[in-house]
Amino acid sequence: MHLELTDEQRSFRDTARRFIESRTPLTTVRDLYDEPDGFDRGWWREAARLGWTSLFVPETHGGGTLSGRAVTDAVVLAEEIGRLVSPGPVLPVNVVAAALAWSGGGDRGTALLPALAAGEAIAGWAFAEPGDRWTPDALETVAVIDDGGVTVEGEKAYVEAAGVADHLLVTARGDGGLTQVLVPADAPGVTVLRGRSVDMTRRYGRVRLTGVRLPVEAVVGQPGRAADVVERQLALALALQCAEMVGLAERAMETTVEYGRDRIAFGRPIVSFQVLKHRLADMAVHLEGMKAVTEELAASIDGKSAETSRLASIAKAYVGRHCLEIVDDCVQITGGMGVTWEHDLHLYNRRAAVDRAMWGTPELHRRRLLDLLADGGRL
Amino acid sequence: MTSTAGTTESVGHFAARARTWIEDNLPTWDDEPVDDRTLQNRIYDAGFGGIAFPVDHGGAGLTLAHQRAFYDCTDELGRQVPRQYWVSIGMVAPLLLERGSEAQKREFLPQLLRGDIIMIQLLSEPRGGSDLAGATTRLTRTGDHYVLSGSKMWSTNAYIADYGICLARSNWSVPKHRGLSLVIVPLKDDPGVSVHRTRMADGELGDVCEEFFDDVVLPRENLIGDEDDGWAVVQSLMVHERNQTADIGYGRLGAGGRSTTMVVDRTAEATQLAAVARERAALDLHNQAVADAYIDSVVTRLTGDRIIRGLALGTHQGPWGSLGKLRGSEDGHRVARTRLAVLGADGVTWDGDDVQPDNAGTAWLTARIATIGGGTSEIQRNIISERLLGLPREPSFDRDVPFEEVLRNARRRG
Repeated sequence: MHLELTDEQRSFRDTARRFIESRTPLTTVRDLYDEPDGFDRGWWREAARLGWTSLFVPETHGGGTLSGRAVTDAVVLAEEIGRLVSPGPVLPVNVVAAALAWSGGGDRGTALLPALAAGEAIAGWAFAEPGDRWTPDALETVAVIDDGGVTVEGEKAYVEAAGVADHLLVTARGDGGLTQVLVPADAPGVTVLRGRSVDMTRRYGRVRLTGVRLPVEAVVGQPGRAADVVERQLALALALQCAEMVGLAERAMETTVEYGRDRIAFGRPIVSFQVLKHRLADMAVHLEGMKAVTEELAASIDGKSAETSRLASIAKAYVGRHCLEIVDDCVQITGGMGVTWEHDLHLYNRRAAVDRAMWGTPELHRRRLLDLLADGGRL
Repeated sequence: MTSTAGTTESVGHFAARARTWIEDNLPTWDDEPVDDRTLQNRIYDAGFGGIAFPVDHGGAGLTLAHQRAFYDCTDELGRQVPRQYWVSIGMVAPLLLERGSEAQKREFLPQLLRGDIIMIQLLSEPRGGSDLAGATTRLTRTGDHYVLSGSKMWSTNAYIADYGICLARSNWSVPKHRGLSLVIVPLKDDPGVSVHRTRMADGELGDVCEEFFDDVVLPRENLIGDEDDGWAVVQSLMVHERNQTADIGYGRLGAGGRSTTMVVDRTAEATQLAAVARERAALDLHNQAVADAYIDSVVTRLTGDRIIRGLALGTHQGPWGSLGKLRGSEDGHRVARTRLAVLGADGVTWDGDDVQPDNAGTAWLTARIATIGGGTSEIQRNIISERLLGLPREPSFDRDVPFEEVLRNARRRG
């Protein structure tokens, strides 16, 4: 997607692509459908060795960026994940690692980083809450600090990899503002309800926190002061998701064009009909737009730009809408085959539908964008 | 299909009679489910099967309006009706009535209408469906019988059917529409026939099937219509198919008989969704449209930036300006439309006697300039698809032909 990749980024991308093609081709993705976790932990440690989990981890803790711009590096990976609807908790592990690194302080958090980087530990971000609530001001989970400890109470939903996560980063309301707490999944009072999604390999669960009591060192960053870092985490989650959708849409379109060249009707390849060519031309317009806005969002997060939140909502509203529309058009162009189990398009349709919904729908982000604009300033 | 005027029972009278019978004889959907065949037998034996079919062929001799009244009543009262006959009774039976031989009508129609047998259509093939006349399943005449070989796909309910009506190529040396025949194929108990349900994208087995025919021997009298005249015959079948989907023909057999996407109570669904939407903040349409128009304009600017960089770097080659032009001009039009929608009356009126050009309504009048001027959006889409995506050109009638002939030929084609 990025026009100018560094040599390191190019090699990172090529290695990731080869790893995905050889270890989790679409036939394997289909097999993983029947596996409760949707991926294998041994495989995840191998992926970690390729750098999938270390981009946001400081060098002192076993990680490091490729280009000095960790988000730009990470979206290169996310796009490859999308191209072959690869399994694995790339998004939550990287976002939690970034949150721990960006928040500073908190010994418990930084102690977890080497294990995350090595693929030994898996972390989930327990952010959203039941009822499709994806904005910080809608959160009801609370974290109260007293007597050298923190008590967390609430219910989280749509937590990716909840069923396998060893640690959960819980974003809660605290005294004076948002507070984030790193909660071990086996802490007393934590109940994880495993769940599934329409995606073949991506599992989401619900997390109930009932009087979860932890030492105050479990708080990540300053209590009550996490609003800014949470915004940045959200932007990162959206950037990774948008990059994945770019990969999904591009690959779906490529296979559809290949199919349409071979498919003959009325004595011509079906892609020679203007009605399909125009549809594909519109898809190309939106694919280019998806790339442009995703690239810009990644650069904005790396550059700590003040526009990041607005750009994140613009990107999600645009990419979330058009990725699913492109895949949906691919299904229509592919005809009956596109709605069968045998054809791979439904793997893309599944991921695109889940990506559209997670981290807020385009509808929610349009609304959020208008609120942000009302708060002042132009983009 | 109807008895002579004056003797036909009025729809109102029929509906009242049907209602009494339905109330007494058909279970509700909450009752123990009754299997389709038992239900259809019961409906038929009471004189309510094949309502719009002639009495001579086992029907009730009434009209589609009577049929509609009967099933409106079953729907209204929430009574069980069969689910599996919509192809058999809704599409195939009317085709046989219109196009079948006397012998075929006598043999099949009463059984079809009573639900004792099921006959489905075998049209699409793995290689194509939209271009139906391009079928390549082979029907070969050998002495006094035919041999069928090939495969069909997307055949609804083939797995429960006794017979299929198959479109096959009987003549390969004439243009495609003139070499097709339609033939009745038994689907059970023939070792040369295999039927497989297709697994759908949701992971479930569908009602649609794929069938393989391996030298299946069929008697001459199984032909519907004349040999090589199958395309004309299949037109009738497709009319009944579309009528069924539109819920306006013989296939209007009550909520049980329609596909699941059509039985959803839209009002209940809308009410339910509206309740969720209200609960989840006001995501109203105007806000969405305003945000979307703004988002598009930002993405257009970023797309332009990316193309400029790409052209400089060489990652982008060719007429990328067409892509930018299409985006930008369609954006401008969308913004103009959004302004009209949001401002309503205030966008098209103003105070005072002077003509004021600075308003949404006036801007709307010329909003199409950009999507037309400089090459229409349609021409940009041709350029993008052919020169950026590398798709084939449309066939053209004006290449390497003297121009005076081009004009003459064009008038002839119109």
